[in-house]
Amino acid sequence: MSRLDWTVLVVYVVAIVAFGIWAGRGNKKIDDFFLAGRQMRWWAVGLSVMATQISAITFVGTTGQAYTDGMRFLVVYFGLPFAMVILCMTLVPFFYRARVFTAYEYLERRFDSRTRTATSLLFLLSRGLSVGVTLYAPSLVLSVLLGWSESATILLMGGSTIAYVIYGGNKSVIWTDVVQMAVIWFGIFLCFGVAIAQIPPTVTFTDALAVARTAGRLDIMNTSPSLTEPYTLWSGLIGGLFLMLAYFGCDQSQVQRYLSGSSLTQSRLSLLFNAFLKVPMQFLILLTGVLVFVFYHFHLPPLLWNRGELARLERVAAPSEVARVQSHFEAAHAARRRAAERYAQTREDVDASLYHQAADAFDATRGEAIALLRQADGRAAAPAPAATPTWLSRILGLKPASYSDTNYIFPTYILTYLPRGLAGLVVAVIFAAAMSTLSGELNSLATASMVDFYKRFLRPAGGDVHELLVSRLLTAFWGAFACLIALQAGRLGSAIEVVNKFGSYFYGSILGVFALAVLTPRASAAGAFWGLLAGMASVWAVATFSSVHFLWYNVVGAVVVFVVGLALTALGGRTDRRTG
Amino acid sequence: MDPSSLPPDPDEEEPVPIFRTWPRIYAAVVVCTLVTMALIALFSSWDY
Repeated sequence: MSRLDWTVLVVYVVAIVAFGIWAGRGNKKIDDFFLAGRQMRWWAVGLSVMATQISAITFVGTTGQAYTDGMRFLVVYFGLPFAMVILCMTLVPFFYRARVFTAYEYLERRFDSRTRTATSLLFLLSRGLSVGVTLYAPSLVLSVLLGWSESATILLMGGSTIAYVIYGGNKSVIWTDVVQMAVIWFGIFLCFGVAIAQIPPTVTFTDALAVARTAGRLDIMNTSPSLTEPYTLWSGLIGGLFLMLAYFGCDQSQVQRYLSGSSLTQSRLSLLFNAFLKVPMQFLILLTGVLVFVFYHFHLPPLLWNRGELARLERVAAPSEVARVQSHFEAAHAARRRAAERYAQTREDVDASLYHQAADAFDATRGEAIALLRQADGRAAAPAPAATPTWLSRILGLKPASYSDTNYIFPTYILTYLPRGLAGLVVAVIFAAAMSTLSGELNSLATASMVDFYKRFLRPAGGDVHELLVSRLLTAFWGAFACLIALQAGRLGSAIEVVNKFGSYFYGSILGVFALAVLTPRASAAGAFWGLLAGMASVWAVATFSSVHFLWYNVVGAVVVFVVGLALTALGGRTDRRTG
Repeated sequence: MDPSSLPPDPDEEEPVPIFRTWPRIYAAVVVCTLVTMALIALFSSWDY
């Protein structure tokens, strides 16, 4: 990065921390610290909800995925608007009228303390571990591309976020999210515009889309009924609906955002704001990735996107072999370019077929480089022992990791081709995306720890000053924990996948418990609790013994909890519903 | 806690902007989403 890029990045980070501290002043009690005094307007909460969902790795990963796999990932968001409407009609009024701090607090009033403790504990476990991954993943990408120390990147990103969240709580989170979301939107439009501008003038925008279409990058609507095929229209609509219902309805990191609304109307509007904007925004992000894909037909990409791996390849493999693969790669790229230009001019089927052959040959040369790296690794040393024990990998259904450098595509493009100053700004966008997710997660972890555990089991009435102090200490604890996990993540290897899988096992099940609470006045506490365990077990069984795509896991979990909960209630013969 | 026994929030009567009622704004979200999906399907299958 140039000096101007560095200046932009440093000014951005300093300014956002200063703004967060300024915006978060005036907290006197935990209502202020955790729910921003319940005084926020819909547009601020709506932008915060959006910013919390867009993590840095979503931003760089989604564009990378569009490059390698096309836009079909978009279907995951098709269920979101419907989920928002359902939540506005059901859970949001319940939470708001109950004046709760956490979603799980509501479950104690509706069922019993055991259900509240179990669900809140599951949230703390999964979110507490995943917050480290939220911090680690973008830090890894940026450290490789910018040549920074991984630890320094983690501590800069984590430390600056922790500073303003400890001081200002949810007010700081929401107001900085508003700014960060504006920066993210600006960054998306900027990258989109630059990608179009840098395609050669002989290739029109329509030509670019024609090439992308023939390469399968614009395939979105797959109507296959298969449960194992990824990202079909139905898995997006149904699985995506359940995923979004679980995320926005039962995950404290989101619930806490909209509970900060100054009225029920404001809270509902914040979610509907997302319902209108989310799909178009994801479309634009994915289309940017597709345009980068077309762009690299006319500009030579690196042999491997991960600079660290490329340097390692040059270090461990014989120079003559690396030169041979590089030469194949460049020849294949030139052939693909010619085929793309030819197809863009003619749009003939025969030229489409020639393009596919050239594209396959090009992909094969990248495969040669990866194979060479693996081969050289095998000669250099015995493989390192797996971080996850074999028995655990078997139970969780983990497969050996395949080589992937998808997350490096978009940052490589930014740092190589964006004009000076703008590259620093887009790196600031990646920082913004990471910090906005991290801030919301830290604040929600502190809230669940404080309200669902500390205030219940240790000191129910400690006074405003004491409670505010403990809330800040808990924020600091979760921030330090996130940094610690992120610093160790490189050594954890596939344990990161364990963390991600662990979350997917109970997300839908918790949704099932909330569905029981809201939709069935007769459901019993025992039904909810044992239904939750049955739901988690079912998802584990489906994930381990079948090839069903992960978007269906939440459907399985929620439906099993609901059915088992109702059955146990009926068998119990009575309701133990509380009137709280 | 019986949901129906929960007291309505005083601010619940705050007017719904533009659409005036909740059913209308929900319908607008659903219609807008369906139109967006139709446009995406068109974009995806267009013969450029």
